[in-house]
Amino acid sequence: MIVCVAVVGHQNNPLYIQSFTDADDALKLHHIVHCSLDVVDERVNNPKKSGPTLNETFLGLLYPTENYKVYGYLTNTKVKFILVTTDLDVRDADVRNFFRRFHAAYVDAVSNPFHVPGKKITSRTFADRVSTIVKSFGLSSAV
Amino acid sequence: MVDPANTPLGKMLVEEITPVVMVLCTPLVEESCLKNGLSFVQMLSPFCDFTNIDVPVRTASDQPYRLRKFKFRLFYASDIRQPNLEVAKERLKQVITKAGEDDFPEISSDLPQVNDLLSRHESEILPTWFQFFNKELVRTLSFSDHEAFDHPVACLLVVSSRDEEPINRFIDLFNTNKLPSLLNDGAMDPKILKHYLLVHDNQDGASEKAIKLLTEMRSTFGPNDCQLLCINSSQDGQTRHKETPWATFRSDALATEHLGRFLRLDDLNEIKNLMQELSSKHIIPYMEQKIRLLNQQVSSTRKGFRNQFKNLWWRKGKEDALDTTNGPVYTFSSIESQIRVLGDYAFILRDYELAVSSYRLISTDYKLDKAWKRYAGVQEMIGLTYFMLDQSRKEAEYCMENAFNTYLKLGSAVQQNATRCGLWWIEMLKTRNQIKEAATVYFRICGEDLLHSAVMLEQASFCYLLSKPPMLHKYGFHLVLSGDHYKKCDQIKHAIRTYRNAVSVYRGTTWNLIEDRVHFHIGQWYASLGMYDVAVTHMLEILASSHQSKTSQELFLRDFLHIVQKTGKTFEVSKLQLPVINISSLKVIFEDHRTYASPVAASIKEGVWRSLEEDMIPSLSAKSNWLDVQSKLIPRKYKESNICVAGEAIIVDIEFKNPLQIPISILSVSLICELSANPEELNSEANSSNVEPQDDEYKTSTSTGDINSSLVLSEVDFSLEGGETILVQLTVTPRVEGILTIVGVKWKLSSSVVGLHNFESNSVNKRIAKGRRKAKHLPSSDLKFIVIKSLPRLQGFIPSLPEKTYAGDLRHLVLELNNQSKFPVKNLKMKINNPRVLNAGNQSYLNLEFPACLEKKLNVEQSSGHGNAKKMLQNVFHFPEDISVQEETSLSWPLWFHAAVPGNISLYITVYYEMENVSSIMKFRTLRMHYNLQVLPSLDVSFELSPCPSRLEEFLLRMDVVNKTSSECFQIHQLSSVGRQWDVSLLQPLDSILPSQSLFAGQALSCFFMLKYHRKSSTSEDSNPLFLQSDVRLGPPGNSEALFDVCSSPLADFHDYERLYQGMSCQGNVDFVFITQLRRGNIDSGAPHRPLLFSYHVCHCSLSSFSPISWFVDGPRSIQHNFSASPCGVNLKMTINNSSDAASSVHIKTFDSPSSNSQSIDATASQLVLPLENQAGWFSISAVNDTKVITTDALAKRITKSVSLESAPQFIWTGSSSTKLKIQPRATAEIPLQICVFAPGMYDLSNYALNWNLAPIEESQGEANKSSGECQGYPYYLTVLQSI
Repeated sequence: MIVCVAVVGHQNNPLYIQSFTDADDALKLHHIVHCSLDVVDERVNNPKKSGPTLNETFLGLLYPTENYKVYGYLTNTKVKFILVTTDLDVRDADVRNFFRRFHAAYVDAVSNPFHVPGKKITSRTFADRVSTIVKSFGLSSAV
Repeated sequence: MVDPANTPLGKMLVEEITPVVMVLCTPLVEESCLKNGLSFVQMLSPFCDFTNIDVPVRTASDQPYRLRKFKFRLFYASDIRQPNLEVAKERLKQVITKAGEDDFPEISSDLPQVNDLLSRHESEILPTWFQFFNKELVRTLSFSDHEAFDHPVACLLVVSSRDEEPINRFIDLFNTNKLPSLLNDGAMDPKILKHYLLVHDNQDGASEKAIKLLTEMRSTFGPNDCQLLCINSSQDGQTRHKETPWATFRSDALATEHLGRFLRLDDLNEIKNLMQELSSKHIIPYMEQKIRLLNQQVSSTRKGFRNQFKNLWWRKGKEDALDTTNGPVYTFSSIESQIRVLGDYAFILRDYELAVSSYRLISTDYKLDKAWKRYAGVQEMIGLTYFMLDQSRKEAEYCMENAFNTYLKLGSAVQQNATRCGLWWIEMLKTRNQIKEAATVYFRICGEDLLHSAVMLEQASFCYLLSKPPMLHKYGFHLVLSGDHYKKCDQIKHAIRTYRNAVSVYRGTTWNLIEDRVHFHIGQWYASLGMYDVAVTHMLEILASSHQSKTSQELFLRDFLHIVQKTGKTFEVSKLQLPVINISSLKVIFEDHRTYASPVAASIKEGVWRSLEEDMIPSLSAKSNWLDVQSKLIPRKYKESNICVAGEAIIVDIEFKNPLQIPISILSVSLICELSANPEELNSEANSSNVEPQDDEYKTSTSTGDINSSLVLSEVDFSLEGGETILVQLTVTPRVEGILTIVGVKWKLSSSVVGLHNFESNSVNKRIAKGRRKAKHLPSSDLKFIVIKSLPRLQGFIPSLPEKTYAGDLRHLVLELNNQSKFPVKNLKMKINNPRVLNAGNQSYLNLEFPACLEKKLNVEQSSGHGNAKKMLQNVFHFPEDISVQEETSLSWPLWFHAAVPGNISLYITVYYEMENVSSIMKFRTLRMHYNLQVLPSLDVSFELSPCPSRLEEFLLRMDVVNKTSSECFQIHQLSSVGRQWDVSLLQPLDSILPSQSLFAGQALSCFFMLKYHRKSSTSEDSNPLFLQSDVRLGPPGNSEALFDVCSSPLADFHDYERLYQGMSCQGNVDFVFITQLRRGNIDSGAPHRPLLFSYHVCHCSLSSFSPISWFVDGPRSIQHNFSASPCGVNLKMTINNSSDAASSVHIKTFDSPSSNSQSIDATASQLVLPLENQAGWFSISAVNDTKVITTDALAKRITKSVSLESAPQFIWTGSSSTKLKIQPRATAEIPLQICVFAPGMYDLSNYALNWNLAPIEESQGEANKSSGECQGYPYYLTVLQSI
């Protein structure tokens, strides 16, 4: 189950962070997302990979914590998407697919002329869409 | 690459992995030593570390090398055992607590900055106690049974010279039951090097006895192993040691001074020599020898292919038998233990090659034996040895990891070992700059012990900070984790420290949730330590966090207030964010020469008032500002500041916003102001007592009741709902002269939190920028005032001005002017922006009853009223010269109000007045009043005029009235015509069309009147044509109410304005005034008992579309004539009137053909003036006739028929067929006409035309008027009968 998704701007400022748990653990998830930014930075700044993976936006598993797995995705505008999940065996393809849809939703949200770049995304449509994507992620991985 | 021995890890290993010397001593030895405040071991320990020795050593394979540094450790036999875990933990806890106290940040110190941290060197950032702690942690593991480097190498037996039978004592000392368990249970070889030491206390006497004993000892134990040590040679105990070598044993500075006070330098040197000899002559050679021995043993049993194979075989067989968790028990005599000892000794003597080969040899054995703990220990040592050899780094790390994992697998029992292994591993990684990896190891070290975990996490966080590039997010995260762990262990100070560091990461980012949490916890923890001041500063950070949930906000606020309450004092918080002040909403309203009757008036743009007052204020017309004129009196410095008057309030409007979702209540909001004496006055009147001394001081006087205070400030209390914004009006009233500066605003959040907000800091920049653009100062942003002496200030209001009324409402209002001061004001002037709606009346109207005073009087003194009105047509109303408002009196002045048009009307009224000899700075002031009123549509009145065809100068007037209100019922009263000399009269009595004389809501009324030109001979009246009236009473019959005089002051004035607004005035027009009354109005009326009067002015009902020439033909209508005798001649008379102002020439043409009749009918019907070229009417074709017949009305049809029937008999115009004449302006002329009729019948005498031509006189002839035209004749029917 996805417990948290986040959009983080290129100055590491949170643009959108949404948890999908019932418990009051927003703070914890914030910490996890915040912490994972270091790993993203590290991956971006040390491009050991070359060739075909150079333009890869999907960063893969950032780091596993005790209960969560954190995946990252970096758009070409240096906006980071972070996904925190409790599923322990997640197929990479599922995550990639999730991020692709999430990216599309994000692009649509920031294309709104009333959206101020660099400010938090407040669009309700975006929130709805993200929660749909998150729900469908759970379903598709279950199948 | 640096020498591994010089790295932190290398140093630590060289220091920690050293031979242990077991000390056994008698109580008397201790007693002697305790005189110095030291135990025996303590006394010797500082001298066991040799950095400057040179001992030749040979390796097992006879390679010579030299040891330059050496150290051994002294322990009492009783201490040589594994420390109690609980005790160890307690000690570590103390270490941490102490470090917490020492490292606790200063209250005043600022929060650390990330960039600041990054720029500093590593050693400055890392708390020093980490090293110490780590060392202590490692030490808790000493003397474990699976490692040999803590096994004693030698034994030092010490006996005092005072002891009885010292030789026996020596033997007793090394008694097995006193020896540590390690030696007894077989883990250690009990056959160790023994050294015998006799201690002599010089205070007990001379050393002869001791020397004698020494010889005795030498003979017993061997000459080399016995030594004598003389101590306490100082008799007085006053020896001071500059740098006490023992300082590390005692923490308190006072005690260190007395340490070793009986020890002279000689004694110290003796000890030093003794220890050096012990190490170089006994311990090192012994170890070297032992290594050699062991090596021989090992190589004989284990080295070589055969031995290895045998060993393997043997172990395989053993595998099944032993299955304990810790693997088999190895005694010192077992080959495994011997190999381990060999390795450890080699390590200690820095023969790392031998060490590593030994370790590797047994690691496989242990693995096969499943002796995991030993295996891990050996792996650990392999790793360290590789490190010291500085080769195969990968291997070293792999070994460390292997060891670490193995320890971890073994569970909590060997957690400490895992920790130690981890720490060494970390040091290894750090040495190789793999700091990030080190951090992860720190993280893995964290076990069940919260306190240790906390320290490890903190160290991990520093690793992240120091890694290149720094990983700040993880730094912050680990700090927070560490802080939480500390908190759980009640190490609050540590928790605060870590959190404070974490703040540096999160501050300034938008991760508010985290930042708030961090601040909140710091605040709480500080509070729990009783440091409320700091707690409050942290709590303030989160007070206005609007993004938090409602419950969090409540929690934050409650805790904050709770903490503040605990401090027991009042906090003044600058820039308190609760509530938020909207600085852009700041508006300052003050009154200099401009005073305002109401706040609404003050909010009107200055430009509106300026343009209104333009021709009233003298100085403006003189092109010099009053400030310029008085510039000498005002200090140059304050020229740009505003002027206000003592005793008059300055109003400041400011918006407060509650950022939270919970309601908050704000108490006693007031301004902070400074009032200082005018600097020039200070200089000039330094001696005078006028200037109160307290004025110089910064002042925040809060008590409004304090009369002596030079400032009066208003206080406001209010409460804000969640997210609410409120506009608060604050006032400050200076009471004395000086310079007043509004500094800011302050408020109380609770009883003990005072929020401050400085305006100046925000607005300064703005003001400078504006000041450059505009020379003029902006009153709203200028917060500095020169307070001048108290001046009279008029207060004015119009009591009964309605807010809402119907169009046409005519009222009598009173302007009240009030002078509160002691000085009279004079020379009053007034200007009203909309005289159409409001204008000033004559003072004589003041006490008259309202509707009655408008009624027509018999002897109307029109001239005086009118004269006054004339004056008022000017813009400014001057009050009579003799009018002045005396001290503390009021002046009432009548005003007339007329709601001329429906809509919203803004009234701006300025009253100008002058003061006498009060202030040199201000000579005059203006009072500005502003009213808004709403005028609803009431009656829609329109008039239509049509000339009467058969009468000269008579018109038919149709009046259409529609009541557009929804509920009101108007009673119609009067219709008056104004202009020229017109008489209005009813065509039919009103009763027939409107019996009630009332117009109900929505009702429409059409009414016909006859309007007649009323000629008057008197020329004097003609000179004033506008103000003549004729009235028709429309009221109920029998109503004796007087008619209203539309020609006297108020009505006439308003009528003038109406004329002005409704269009250009030109001659030949007529104006009407329609007056109704409203008995019971729903509308707000100032005087509810009186009927309201409504007047509707309709001006310029134009007559100009009619020809200026009107005429009628007069003559007999029916005659009898005997045609048999002669044709009949008929005399007619035509009267022509020229109603224009120009002389006109008229040309009358008669046609003999009757065929133009249809056209003449047409002309009659539509008043058409036909163009000249269509005049050949008699050639008209019948087809035209036919169409006309069809379309014209019934009467016309009949006429046409009759005419066409009788078309054959003719009449002819006799006399001149064309007459030309000139008619003077406004004159009439009569022309005789004659026709001759030849047969009886009915004749239409319309076949003539009038051509008129206006003489182009004076310039002002309206272009709209026609200068020429042609009119067809009217039908005039003449019946001629045959007389009998």
